[in-house]
Amino acid sequence: MNNTMNTDKEPMHHIIRLKRYERPPEGYFDDFLREFHYRQRAELLKPSLSVMILERLTSLMSEIRVPAMAYAGAAVVAVGVGSAIINHQPESPAPRSYAVSYKQPPVTIDKMQPVSLRVETPDAASRNFPPAFLLQARPATHESPLSF
Amino acid sequence: MSEEQVIAPNNDQELVSRTQGGDPGAFDELVVRYSPRLYGLVYHMTSNHEDTNDLLQDVFAKAYRSICNFQGKSSFYTWIHSIAVNMTINFLKKRNRRQHPSLNDPDSRIESDPDFIAATSNADATKEVSMHELQKKLNAAMLKLSHEHRVVVTMFDIQGMHHAEIAKILKISEGTVRSRLFYAHRQLQNSLHEFKKA
Repeated sequence: MNNTMNTDKEPMHHIIRLKRYERPPEGYFDDFLREFHYRQRAELLKPSLSVMILERLTSLMSEIRVPAMAYAGAAVVAVGVGSAIINHQPESPAPRSYAVSYKQPPVTIDKMQPVSLRVETPDAASRNFPPAFLLQARPATHESPLSF
Repeated sequence: MSEEQVIAPNNDQELVSRTQGGDPGAFDELVVRYSPRLYGLVYHMTSNHEDTNDLLQDVFAKAYRSICNFQGKSSFYTWIHSIAVNMTINFLKKRNRRQHPSLNDPDSRIESDPDFIAATSNADATKEVSMHELQKKLNAAMLKLSHEHRVVVTMFDIQGMHHAEIAKILKISEGTVRSRLFYAHRQLQNSLHEFKKA
C-alpha cells in the first residue's frame, strides 16, 4: 500500500497501528446480526412518532396539577374584575363615533333654517288626535354637515 | 475476520440490487461483511465498546431504511462508511466531554508485534510499560484529537485505507486528508513522546 509506505517513517504510524489489536469479545460478530434482527422487529412494534408525541403531551397534561387554592384565587379575581367593569360603566354613555360605509352622497345643508314651534290646529283629518308640537322638516342642529 | 480484509465491491453491487429487490437475506450478507470493519472505525473513534455497538446497529438500520435511495453513484463501501462516519461524528458532538472509555482487550498477538516490542522497549527505561498501559495511553492520545483528525488517523493508520478512499468518504480533497494526518501525527507525538522510536 503506497500511502502507508510513505508514512512508514512516521513513528506515530507504527504506534497507533497497534490499536488494531483491540478487538471486541469473542463471538461478538456472531451475535451482532441476531441483535440487528431483534432491533428491527422491535422497531416495527414501536408506535409512530405522532402517536408518541400525542402520548407524551397527554401524560404531560395529566402531570400538571393545579393547586386547589388556585381555583379559589382565580374565582375571586374573576369576580373582582367583573364587578370593576360593571361599576366603571358611565351612566350616560358618551356619544360614540362609528365608521360607517355609506354609498349615498353626504347630506349637506346650505342654509340653516330657524326652528319654529307651532301648534297645529286640528283639522278634519286629525281631529281625533291630541295637539302635538311638530318640528318643521328642517334639521334642528348647528353641527357641521355630516360627511362620511 | 481481519479489519484489513479486502472487500469485493462488485459482489456488493449484486447484494445491494438483491436487497433493493426485496431480499433481506442479501442485506444480512452485507451486515456480516461490513460489521467488523465498521466496528473498528466506530470503536477507534469512540473508545467505547457499548457506544460502538449501539451506533453500529443504528448505522445498519439507517442503511437498510435508505438502501432503496442508493443509486450506485459511489460504491456501497464508500456509502456505508460515510453513513458510519457521519453518525459517529454527530454522536461524539452530542457526547461532548462525557467520555467513559470502555476498551476491548487487545489481542494477545500484540505482544509479538515488532512495533509493540519497539514501542515498549523505547519507553521510559525507569518503568516497565505494560500492554494495558500502552493501550490506555494510545486511547487517551486519540481522544485528545479533534473528531476530524481522529477519523483520518483511524482510517489511515489503524484501518490502512488509502488517502483517496478517505477523501471520497469524507468528501474532502486528498490534500486535506494529508494535512489533517500531518497535524494529527504531530499532536500524537506530543502525547506519546515516551514511546517514540529512537
